Amino acid sequence: MRRRSSYSTRPVGIDQAVHRSSTLDPPRRPRRLFTLISLLALALAAPLLVVLTAPLHAQAPEWVHVRRVILPDHLAGTLELLGGVLAIALVLAVPSAWLVATCDFPLRRMMRWALVMPLALPTYISAFTYAALLGPTGPVSNWLADHAGFRPDIVDMQGLWFVLALVLFPYIYLPARAAFASGMSGQLDAARMLGASAVPRFRRIALPLARPAIAGGALLVAMETLNDYGAVKYYGVRTLTTGIFRSWAGLYDLGSALRLGIVLVLLVALLLWIERRARRGARQETDQVPVARVRLQGWRAAAATGWCLLVFGMAAMLPIGSILDDVRVTWDGTMHGQLPHALWNTSAVAAVAGLVTLVIAVLFTFRERYGRRSDPAIRLADLGYVIPGAVIAIGVMSLAGFIDRRQWLDGALIGSMGVLVYAFSVRFLAVGKQPLQGALRQQSTALDEAARMLGASPWRSFRRVNLPLLGPALIAAAMLVAIDVIKELPLTLILRPFNFDTLSTKAYELARIEQLREASWPSLMIVICGLVPVLLLERMLERRARSLGGR
Amino acid sequence: MRNAPSILAPLMVLVACNAPEFHSGKPLRERVVNVYSHRHYESDQQIFDGFTKRTGIHVNLVMADDDEILTRLQQEGANSPCDLLITSDAGRLGLAKRRDLLRPIHDSLLEAVIPSHLRDADGNWFGLTMRARVFAYDKRTVDPSHLRTYADLTKPEWKGQVLVRTSEHVYNQSLLAAMIAHEGRDSALAWAKGIVANLAREPKGSDTDQLLAIGEGIGSVAIVNSYYIGKLMKNTDPARDPARAAIGVVFPDLDGHGTHVNISGAGVARHAEHMPEAVALLEYLVSDEAQALFAEGNEEYPVKAGVPIARELAAFGTLTPDTLDLQALATYNAEAVKLFDAAGWH
Repeated sequence: MRRRSSYSTRPVGIDQAVHRSSTLDPPRRPRRLFTLISLLALALAAPLLVVLTAPLHAQAPEWVHVRRVILPDHLAGTLELLGGVLAIALVLAVPSAWLVATCDFPLRRMMRWALVMPLALPTYISAFTYAALLGPTGPVSNWLADHAGFRPDIVDMQGLWFVLALVLFPYIYLPARAAFASGMSGQLDAARMLGASAVPRFRRIALPLARPAIAGGALLVAMETLNDYGAVKYYGVRTLTTGIFRSWAGLYDLGSALRLGIVLVLLVALLLWIERRARRGARQETDQVPVARVRLQGWRAAAATGWCLLVFGMAAMLPIGSILDDVRVTWDGTMHGQLPHALWNTSAVAAVAGLVTLVIAVLFTFRERYGRRSDPAIRLADLGYVIPGAVIAIGVMSLAGFIDRRQWLDGALIGSMGVLVYAFSVRFLAVGKQPLQGALRQQSTALDEAARMLGASPWRSFRRVNLPLLGPALIAAAMLVAIDVIKELPLTLILRPFNFDTLSTKAYELARIEQLREASWPSLMIVICGLVPVLLLERMLERRARSLGGR
Repeated sequence: MRNAPSILAPLMVLVACNAPEFHSGKPLRERVVNVYSHRHYESDQQIFDGFTKRTGIHVNLVMADDDEILTRLQQEGANSPCDLLITSDAGRLGLAKRRDLLRPIHDSLLEAVIPSHLRDADGNWFGLTMRARVFAYDKRTVDPSHLRTYADLTKPEWKGQVLVRTSEHVYNQSLLAAMIAHEGRDSALAWAKGIVANLAREPKGSDTDQLLAIGEGIGSVAIVNSYYIGKLMKNTDPARDPARAAIGVVFPDLDGHGTHVNISGAGVARHAEHMPEAVALLEYLVSDEAQALFAEGNEEYPVKAGVPIARELAAFGTLTPDTLDLQALATYNAEAVKLFDAAGWH
C-alpha cells in the first residue's frame, strides 16, 4: 500500500487536508501532549487572530474613504497583477519542467538546478535590478532610444508581471517537474503505444495529471505576489498591500489598514478554495516508476536548450550579473566593514528560526498524523504564511505590547530576539510543515499500526518510526525556513533588537536612500546565502529521484 | 512527563535568545541612549560616533520605517527602552505628540539654536535638518523664469512634461498638506489635478529616477527633494552624467510663503529612562560639528544659522523656507492622501 503522490515531493506549499492519511484511532491518545500542542498552535495563531478581529478592537476613522476609494482601486490592481504574474509564471515553469523531466537535451542536467536559482533572489532586489537595467533610464533603454528611437520601460504593471513571474516561477517549476518525472509514466507509455504524438501526450495526459502539483505551486506564486510591497511600490502599482500602507502611513489609520488585511486574507481563502478544487478528482495514488526520458534530436534539442537558457538567463543570470557588476563598481566603497556583523546576525537568526520552526512543525505534523480530527488551531496557524510580514508584525507587537505595557517583565518583549524568532515561526510555519507532510504521506500507515501493535505510544511510535524516516525532509524544512528568513524584510526591520543589522535590512536601508549600487553588496550575500540551501535541496531531491529510479 | 524535553527545547532556545549578548553586536554599556530612528544614512553613524567620542555615552540604535516605529513605541508603552525618537517627517512627529508618545523638553540651548517654526511650541520635538521640495528642470529646454511658484507647474505649457513619484510617498503628502494649510482644500485639489494633467508618465520610481529621466529627456520638470539633487551631483557614476549636466533647480514659492520644507527631527520619548543622555544627544545633534555633517554628508539644510550648506546645493541658489507651523503637516496629512485619490495621482 503506497500512499505516495509524486508531486508531494515539492518542498513548499500548503496542501494538507485533502488527502490526509487515514489516521489510526489509538485506544490511548496522548491527551496532555495534544493539549500542549494545541496551546502552542494557539500561540502561533494569536497574531493572526489579532488581525482578523481588528473590527472589534481597532477604530477605523477613515474606513469610509478606504472602502469607497482605496479598496476597489487596489483590489482591481491586485487582481490584474495576480492574473498577469500567474499566467507568465505558468508559461515559464510548465514547459521547462516538462522538458527537464521527460526529455534529454544538451545542458539538461545543469538546467535541473539552474532553473531553481531565482528562488534565492528576494523579489524586491530583483525588481530594483531589472528596473536599473531595463527601466526608462537604464542602459538598455538609453541605447535603444539613441539607436532605434524607442525607449522601452518595464517599470509599470506589465513589467512587474514579468519581473515577479521570473523570480517566482520555480515555485511551480519544482512541483511540476516532480510530477512529470514520476507518477505518470504508465499513462504516458500507454498513450505513446496508442500512437499519440508529443503534443497531445502533454496536453491530454501529462497536464491534467500534473494539475494538482501545478495548482499548489501557483498558489505559492500568488501568495508571494500578494505579500510583496517593495517591488510593487517602486513600480507604481497599487495592490492591497500598498493599500494597507497607504491607510496606515498616509491616513494615519491602522484600523482601516487591518481591515484591508482581512480582505487580503479572504482573497487568499478564495485562492486556497480554488486550489483545492483543482486538486479534487485528481488521482492521488500514483505509481513510482520514473518516466523514460526521450532523447531530443536536431532542432528540437536546440529549441529545448534554447528555451531553458533563455529562461535561466532572464531569471537568474541577468539580475545576478547586474548585482555582480554593481559590486565591481563599488569595490572600494565603505560597505565591507559593516557586512561581517550583518552576515553573522543573518546566519544566526536564520539558523535559530529554522530550528525552532522545524521543532514546532514536527510537533504539528505528529498531531495531524496521530490525532483523530484535525486541530483548528493548527489550521489557523498555517495561515501566517499568507499575511504580509508588516501585518503579522502588528499582530505580534499588539500581543507582546499587551505584556510590555503592563510592565510584567523587566525589559520590553518587543525588540527581543525571542519575539523576532517567534514572529518568524508564525510567518513561516507553513513553509516548514510542507515538506514534512509530503514525506509523511509517503510513509504507509501500516508502519504506525505495526508500532502501535507492539505497544508503542503514539509519540514513541512517531519518534522511533516516522521521524527517522523523515530524514531529508527535516533538513529541507529547516532550510526552506532559513532561506525565507534570510530574504525576509518587514518583520526583521520592525521587530529587531538594538544595533541588529541583517543583510536584508542593510540592503533595504541602502536601497531606501536610493544608493542601489552600494546595496549590491548585501544583495549579493543574500543571494549566496540563499543559493547554498537551494542547491543543497536540489541535490537532495536529485539523489532521491535517482535512488527511486534504481529500484 | 517524558515528553517534556521536546516541548521545552524550543522554549529554552527562546529564553537563551533573550540573553543580552545576542541582542547586539556591541555590548550594552553603562551610559547609553537608546534611539529609534527612521533615518538610514551613513553620515548619521558618524554623528553618533562623534557623540560617543565626546561624551562617552554609547548610542544604541533601531532603524525602521516611521509608522512601524511609532506603532512599536506605542505598543511597548511604559516598558519601551526608547529614549529618543528620530524621524524624517514632521507629520509623524506631530502624530507622536498627538498620541502622547513624546515628552516636552525645555532646553535653552535647543530653543536658541532652532528657529521656532522648526520645533514644537510645547517642546515635544525639535527639527534637526530641512529638506526642500523643489523643481529640477532641464537646462537645455526650460526657461526657469516660467517656474516661480508651485502653481506655475499646473499651467498648460507643461503638458506632458512633469515627472514625479507616486503619492504613496510622504514628501508628496506633506507638500499637499502644506498647501491645504495655506490655501485650503479646493485650491490644493486643483493643484494636484493640474499636475496629473501635465504628467509626462505615470508616477513611479524614486526621486533620483525622476532626475535621471530629465537627463534622458523623458520629461523636463521634476518635483523632487533637494537632497537627492545634492546626492546626484556628488555621485561620480558616468551613467548619470547626462542628468548631472542637464539639471537646473528652482526653489518654487508656495503662495508667498517660501519653499515647502519638511524636517528630520527628534523628540524625547515619553518613558525615556535615560533623559539626560537623550537631551545631551539632542544638543549634540544641533552642534556645529553634527550640523556640518548633516549638511556635507547628507546634503540636508542645517537648522543652525551659520553652518554652511553643501557645495553641490549652494550652487543652485538660496532656500527661503516656508515658515508654516509644521504641526499642520500632521493635521492635514490624511486629507492630502484623500485629495491625491480624488485627483487620480496614484
